[in-house]
Amino acid sequence: MKVITAYCNLRADECLVNGEVVARWDAGSEDSWFKQIYKQQELAYPKFYKMDVLSQAGYLASELIKRVNPGISEAYADDEIALVFANTSSSAETDRRFIQSYEGGGSPSPSLFVYTLPNIVLGEIAILNKWYGENMFAVLPKFVPGFYLDYSRILFASGSRALLGGWLEVTAGSTDVFLFMVEERESGTEFKEENLIHLSQTGAVAAY
Amino acid sequence: MIYIGAEVIVGPLGDTAEDNWEALSENRSGIAPAPAVGFNKEAIHLSKIAGLSGPLRFQQLVIKALAVLKERIDASILTSDRTMVLISSTKGALDDNLHDPFSETCAAVMHAFNLAHLPVVISNACISGVLTLNVAGNMVGVGQYDHVIVIGCDVASDFVLYGFQSLFAVSDKPCAPFDAARNGITLGEGCGAALVSGTQSVFKNRPLELLTGTSANDANHISGPSRTGEGLVRSVMKTMNKHGVGAEEIDFICAHGTGTVFNDEMEAIAFGRLSLSDKPLNSLKGYFGHTLGAAGVIETAVCMQMMRNGMLIKSLGYRDAGTSVPLNIILENEPKKLRTILKTASGFGGGNASLMIRNL
Repeated sequence: MKVITAYCNLRADECLVNGEVVARWDAGSEDSWFKQIYKQQELAYPKFYKMDVLSQAGYLASELIKRVNPGISEAYADDEIALVFANTSSSAETDRRFIQSYEGGGSPSPSLFVYTLPNIVLGEIAILNKWYGENMFAVLPKFVPGFYLDYSRILFASGSRALLGGWLEVTAGSTDVFLFMVEERESGTEFKEENLIHLSQTGAVAAY
Repeated sequence: MIYIGAEVIVGPLGDTAEDNWEALSENRSGIAPAPAVGFNKEAIHLSKIAGLSGPLRFQQLVIKALAVLKERIDASILTSDRTMVLISSTKGALDDNLHDPFSETCAAVMHAFNLAHLPVVISNACISGVLTLNVAGNMVGVGQYDHVIVIGCDVASDFVLYGFQSLFAVSDKPCAPFDAARNGITLGEGCGAALVSGTQSVFKNRPLELLTGTSANDANHISGPSRTGEGLVRSVMKTMNKHGVGAEEIDFICAHGTGTVFNDEMEAIAFGRLSLSDKPLNSLKGYFGHTLGAAGVIETAVCMQMMRNGMLIKSLGYRDAGTSVPLNIILENEPKKLRTILKTASGFGGGNASLMIRNL
């Protein structure tokens, strides 16, 4: 059966992998929250610093998932892991910054413009891992487990053997990131609606 | 069998596939110089829809295209819960709502046509259209829906134009895909639509067969095409293998052909590796400009018109061979019976997608 073999939640002030907190936001740090995670987790991929927030979020969460599930890349051919991500506001945060680059006297920034598409994060993950598989980015009104369940059936029926799913909503005011790996296993946390909802809310506390 | 039909094109050359076909068969282009639109107030060639201005341009186009499509199908399926609408777009209604470019349009379309489901948006840069047609075919194929309507739409904006200008990727003349003197894209706007269904009788006119394809990432660069064409080669190979179609069966290739030096070169290398370089090939960007998320749907709709009319359409803007691997670019319109065609797309984020259409 298809099971969720690892997952990562990124929120405004904590980062969890398989439900365990691995990093907490340091209000006293001058670094952005994502940069704090990058440093705390001792990740080394200088391109991280060029990425926009969506790509940084996708990079961090996918690397942390690989860390707890280290066999992923070896277990599959380079085109067997499909990437299916979604969010609500597309690349709005980077779109806003790109507009700022040319409004008010500046000139349009090419390094921002190339990130003004939501699917760029899929490209970043594919480049880093040399994954040549299927990619899709959808824009949905809210996190809908059925979207991933339905589309994964199509992918698993047409050559993909694993799925990295993602909900990546990162705006100026909020961070709601949930990445999950789906693989075929004898047992484990079944890839189904209730589990996706439950795991997507892992670590969410009322105090937020 | 998965059928595709009821194709619609709303763009600078007309509001129906037939209007557009008439323009294409006369090799008329929607591209024209637009004064003072560039970041430095320079004139730039664009393919813009006359009369489309002001707020809600994206929403207007999507609703117009679906209204035209509705006339070409059994309209009762629109309100069925077995029907899904997919919208393929890169920037949606960015000019209306920067922070939420799609929700309002999806809600308006659902309301206007009394749809059972809220449309889903697929946003994968320039492969969005071909990818979404494949998703539609797969949804029908596995039985998730009986009918899936695909609407591809993007509108021209300062945002996108300035962005491509910042990358020095805008052509100083109408774009010239695959030509030796090509130097960039011409931005376009438009909307394409088609119905994908397992039921032949819901189409008022004869549908064609959709042979759904596969997408593949280049795993190379977020904004630069692969130098080996690896992702495009993989996508096309899988698409052909999936249906047991050999190179000898492909009658025509509708390439992506943006008109940038590196994209067109990448495609030529990929088609060479695929032993498809001798196939009659065109890019339709010389007629429509680059319509981004709409391109794959508009261009597939044109392919369907080419098949229905038995005519190869000249690749507008091409004069002299300009790729390291020679291609068989269509120089003049030419009557030809087309049974199986290949449509490809490649884009930012390293995406590549392909599909085939077969005449029944």
